[in-house]
Amino acid sequence: MTATTAETGFATMLNQGRWAWMRFTAYLGAMAGIAAMAMYGSSGAYEENAFLYQILSMKGLLWGGTGALAGCGLAVVASTLKPTLLETKMARNTVPWLDGFVLMVILASIWALFEPSQSQISYQDQSNLFAGRVIMAMNVIFIFSAVSYIAYLFAPESFIGRIATWSAYAGIYLGGSALLLRWHESYLFDMEIGHAPVSNLYEVFILLFCITAAVYLALEKRYQAKAMGAFVLTLVSVGVFFGIWLDSVGQGDIKPLVPALQSYWMKIHVPMNFVGYGSFAVACGAGMAYLVRYRLEASGGKSKMLAIFPSLEQLDQLAYKAVAIGFPAFTLATILGAAWAAEAWGGYWSWDPKETWALILWLIYGAYLHARVSHGWHGKALAWWAVAGFLVTVFCFLGVNMYLSGLHSYGRLT
Amino acid sequence: MLKEMRTRKATVAEKSLKRFQYLHDWRLPAEMDIAHVQQTFRKRLRGWEFREAEQDGVQYIRADKGRWNKWGYILVHSAILVILVGGWMGSEYGFRGNMAVPEGQSESEISFLQGTETGHLKMPFEVRCNSFSIDFFPTGAPKEFRSNLTIIDNGKEVLTSDIIVNEPLYYKGVRIYQASFGDGGSDITFKLFHMDGSEKISYAKVQVYKTWKDEKTGTSIKVTDFKPYNVENMANPGEPKDFQDLGPAVEYELRGPGLKPVKIKAFMNPFIDAKGVNQGSFLMVSLTGDKQDYKPVALGLDLTNPVEWKLFHAFMRQLAVVGKQSKQANLTAFKKAMAEVFGEGNRPEGFQAMAMRTLQAINMLSALPWPLLPMLDDFDQHYYTGLQLAKDPGMNVVWFGSAMLVIGLCIMFYMPHRKLWLIVRPVSGALHISLAGMANRNHLVFNQAFNDIFTQLDKDFAQGKS
Repeated sequence: MTATTAETGFATMLNQGRWAWMRFTAYLGAMAGIAAMAMYGSSGAYEENAFLYQILSMKGLLWGGTGALAGCGLAVVASTLKPTLLETKMARNTVPWLDGFVLMVILASIWALFEPSQSQISYQDQSNLFAGRVIMAMNVIFIFSAVSYIAYLFAPESFIGRIATWSAYAGIYLGGSALLLRWHESYLFDMEIGHAPVSNLYEVFILLFCITAAVYLALEKRYQAKAMGAFVLTLVSVGVFFGIWLDSVGQGDIKPLVPALQSYWMKIHVPMNFVGYGSFAVACGAGMAYLVRYRLEASGGKSKMLAIFPSLEQLDQLAYKAVAIGFPAFTLATILGAAWAAEAWGGYWSWDPKETWALILWLIYGAYLHARVSHGWHGKALAWWAVAGFLVTVFCFLGVNMYLSGLHSYGRLT
Repeated sequence: MLKEMRTRKATVAEKSLKRFQYLHDWRLPAEMDIAHVQQTFRKRLRGWEFREAEQDGVQYIRADKGRWNKWGYILVHSAILVILVGGWMGSEYGFRGNMAVPEGQSESEISFLQGTETGHLKMPFEVRCNSFSIDFFPTGAPKEFRSNLTIIDNGKEVLTSDIIVNEPLYYKGVRIYQASFGDGGSDITFKLFHMDGSEKISYAKVQVYKTWKDEKTGTSIKVTDFKPYNVENMANPGEPKDFQDLGPAVEYELRGPGLKPVKIKAFMNPFIDAKGVNQGSFLMVSLTGDKQDYKPVALGLDLTNPVEWKLFHAFMRQLAVVGKQSKQANLTAFKKAMAEVFGEGNRPEGFQAMAMRTLQAINMLSALPWPLLPMLDDFDQHYYTGLQLAKDPGMNVVWFGSAMLVIGLCIMFYMPHRKLWLIVRPVSGALHISLAGMANRNHLVFNQAFNDIFTQLDKDFAQGKS
């Protein structure tokens, strides 16, 4: 064992082998426990009221804790029967993110202490709520991160790169905890108004930034693809400016949920969709990086930047990797949406504009995968495809909400 | 492809070996035990499947991981077929339509669009709507639409349950959804103000969607809608939105001989402005019948107060007596009218505001062309609940296909098929060992994994050598 691994021994031990595996199953168990609580916890049907507090209360602790223990128990049994499970890559790769989520919840609880007093809170003027400030900090940090990543391209000092990476992490934590805080804030107006923070364009935008950055950072961590960050975080920054605009025109306010959205499906369907969108954004970033490197190489290949860019082959693979994360997630999200539609609208598919565009998007990325896997396409054409695919994603996400009416019109600007 | 999966040839031809993307070689001393080398290889690959072969003195071991990756591919593509079959079953043997059931009544037929025509279909049961209610958020936005339904099958009540949006009812393979709501024929009482100067007020009882006709004047009122709440944006253009509930209102079409038909929305309560001042009763009038063309018409008088109607007429008469139109004349006439209605010297509370309203009414009311001014006096509201009924025998097939699709995608993307070969070839006094690898997906990860295995084996072999 070398010196470096010895230094970080404890942390690596926690994120590997038995510990990672047990924690992974405990998290899964806790999630299943919370889901079970949502479905069977209250005497009647599912109750939206104060769901956040149900999770954070003794009741949530009992359900989630039971789930976690059951998960651990099953993990012990399963790994005794099949010891290779201890080396499961999925556990190793996801556990740090799940830990991060717990940290995010703690962070949000800390922010909640800075909330103005109850008498100062009014539904009409939401500007004094603390989440707004956390979001503003997130905006600044993400833009700073994008600038650092771009600076890193021109001055590849490892410390600039580290700043860029850490600020991207900070952005995710700020954004995620701000959303959780908003959930809490929505109950401060009135218990009845409160709902999960994925109900309007502004909230899902913040979610999208965080997921995009997270998918990118996961790839960066595993494949040392720092140069790609300049492209991905620039995309995020463009989104940040759009988010600031949305807030400035009063779209950032917390509003009560229309009856159609009052369902636990919303909490699953919407975030899952954004895992898809976020991954497609990362694929677009990889595609752009590919095209830039291609251009640089074509013009003589003397640019210093080339030294830090991943190779064309790697960028090509990274774009594929991002689509490989996004495509199954998007498929699942669409299916979950269909399941919700079957429960709320009387049919799993209604050819509503959003559904139609989701299908188009699905076909575009499906074709991308076919072109690549079955037809052996590589390189420039697919890089363009990833970029163009993301433009369609943006339309599917924003354009449909803003310009086409239909059953998904809650995402509209009002 | 399937054949390839079954055979899993352990040997690799020399020629094709050179084309492998992942390939490493060692040259080890001849005295190394081949079995030991192979054992090391096996030990380092936990969870892989092995196959051995020997050909022309060359020893091959093939290791496979994720052999079922091909099944992911098969699963995904057959899933799409399954989903399409499910969709076809739904469109062929299922139905989806709407019914509107007024409170207290029952219905057994759904209607749906069939091209450009409306189709009808009889359900095997009846649905009765016992009640419908709307729950509101403190902000005034609707929170919940709830219908209490009873299913009547063969004349027998079999099931009574509440449904809300997102929580449908399931009976005999049919799902019953809360889809919309509207007025189910509320009882409306109109207060008819006769505009012929007779000061007369009469009443008319009618239901929403029905027409009431006045025999004498030939005026007809066709009631089109009634709403107990009317939340409107009261802000001027450019100002921040300010939603207010203006109270109950009835919508009707007013027709009569020599009259241009108009659509009117008459509010029950007078308009109280932001300062709390009563601005009198008001209407919304649309000359085209289009909702977008509604223009507010302030009537001046608070018509809920019968005294004001009286005062207005007294004032009109006094004005006619005074004859002239001047400020002074108006004042005199109004004073006389006051004395006529309330008695000499008596002034009711808020009479100044009343005077303002009466003055305004002079201009407004006399400009109205209608012989009758129907205002909303009383109501007894009945909703109808808009239900959507759907049966989709293909739905479970679609869910099954969807599950196949997701599982297949996960297998396809996250469990790539990886193959490794360890080829031991004794050549002139040495062992020539090759490690060759192949993956059908995710080369980034495989590249790392392959290098890891190579480094590990390199270390192991070096130890075995010494």
